Amino acid sequence: MTPSKKHIRHYSYYPGCSLHASGREYDISTRALFKALRLGLQEVPDWFCCGATPAHNVDQLLSHSLAAKNLCLAEAVEGDLAVACAACFSRLKTTQNHLRADDATRKQVETAIDGPAALDKPVKHILEILARDFGLAQLEKSVKKPLLGLKVASYYGCLLTRPPEVPDLDDCEDPSIMEDILRALGAEPVKWSHRMECCGANFTLSRPAVVLKLSNAILQSAQEAGADCIMVACPLCHGNLDIRQEGIKAKYGPPEGTLMGNIFGSDLQKGSDAEPRRETPIFYVTQLAGLAMGVPSDKLGLESIIVDPRPLLKEKQLL
Amino acid sequence: MQLSNETMNVGFVKKVEALSGTSVRRCFQCGKCSAGCPMSAFMEHPPNRVVRLLQLGQWERVLAGRSIWYCASCETCSTRCPNKVNLASIMDALRKLSWDADGPSKESYVQLANRLFIENIRTYGRQYELRLGAAFNMKSGQFLKDLMLGPKLLSRGKMKLFHSKNKNLPEIEAIFSRLEEMRRKGEAL
Repeated sequence: MTPSKKHIRHYSYYPGCSLHASGREYDISTRALFKALRLGLQEVPDWFCCGATPAHNVDQLLSHSLAAKNLCLAEAVEGDLAVACAACFSRLKTTQNHLRADDATRKQVETAIDGPAALDKPVKHILEILARDFGLAQLEKSVKKPLLGLKVASYYGCLLTRPPEVPDLDDCEDPSIMEDILRALGAEPVKWSHRMECCGANFTLSRPAVVLKLSNAILQSAQEAGADCIMVACPLCHGNLDIRQEGIKAKYGPPEGTLMGNIFGSDLQKGSDAEPRRETPIFYVTQLAGLAMGVPSDKLGLESIIVDPRPLLKEKQLL
Repeated sequence: MQLSNETMNVGFVKKVEALSGTSVRRCFQCGKCSAGCPMSAFMEHPPNRVVRLLQLGQWERVLAGRSIWYCASCETCSTRCPNKVNLASIMDALRKLSWDADGPSKESYVQLANRLFIENIRTYGRQYELRLGAAFNMKSGQFLKDLMLGPKLLSRGKMKLFHSKNKNLPEIEAIFSRLEEMRRKGEAL
């Protein structure tokens, strides 16, 4: 397949399972943003699940084999491989690195996939494509509607930076790539404590109480830092912070509006400085970037977010 | 204290080291892994103690416990270890050994979720979230778990009623069978 001339660069694209389901707005907004930036994006035909956390948790050889076969499939489409999901990105790169360094495992994987492993195509996360390939200066120049006055907590989570030798995206303890992108878009990144803490990841299926506890700490920290919203670059982080937010509020929120709160006054229950808990909209990086590039808001999947971000955007006159 | 090979049960330790590609013996118990672990509050043995138990030959206590299944694979431990022990890989190796021995662990929900997730790959190619959630609820006996989330996700297009067809399904099945065959012949762990 040949790339089209109207694009300044062309990428093959591995969306991953979540982007066709619970993270659909990440897929929609990635496509819309790439189109606006004149970046070509072509989905790898019939890609399948990379195995994610469950496969490497119990069967590392299966995990490498699934990732390696997908890397082979990606060879059919021209351009570096763009990956939006932090977990898929981590799995594909882990396998690439591991099979390059470990001949014995590579041979086993090649037997399993019945062919040679293809390890040369650069695997790039969307953040990397925006900040490095496209470039921050160019990104800033392309902004049509700067996100002025929007205070954003950028949430990295785990796999975008850890372990440091795999993603090779930014510093593993003090990254700045998301804040850099936000500044280029005209938004105001806030300083906060929980940007690299785990959200509970795939425990959302098996042990949701884990997710409620860890994600509650993240939401609280962002709110205390004065953030209007949180920006993520992973569909699992988004699911835990957005889809689970109502459950988190029910379990950990201050008792405003409850019977006990009404009888005794919520001040007595939580101390007089306890603010009633606000809702925190969770955006994908591609949605905020899309807005700033002037992509019509109905092309960014904003209506799919559970904690509706539109009132906030209207308040900031960004919608 | 000097650890003898007998105390350590060096055979098991070597198996873990072969699978994980890292050293169990190099850990000197600084505890940095446990200090940064987001999941240690849920574990009966925090990460540094898991390694210590392995060094002391008490691997059965590790495999029987919850700790390995409550690791989120966040990679904080491996990132911060001053001795370059890749603890996240050790956790992978321990889970595999427990899984292959048909899990003596008390923690069954995480194992059930993993099994259904991997089954989904073999059956559908991509994750089919509706089936994943429904099968988890049926098999864990938590019939009402997250029931209210279903309509919310469906109405926003975040969950599909039907799974997609994948042309590579025969190839995926072949990967699974070849791995099973290699293991039967003893060509792979």
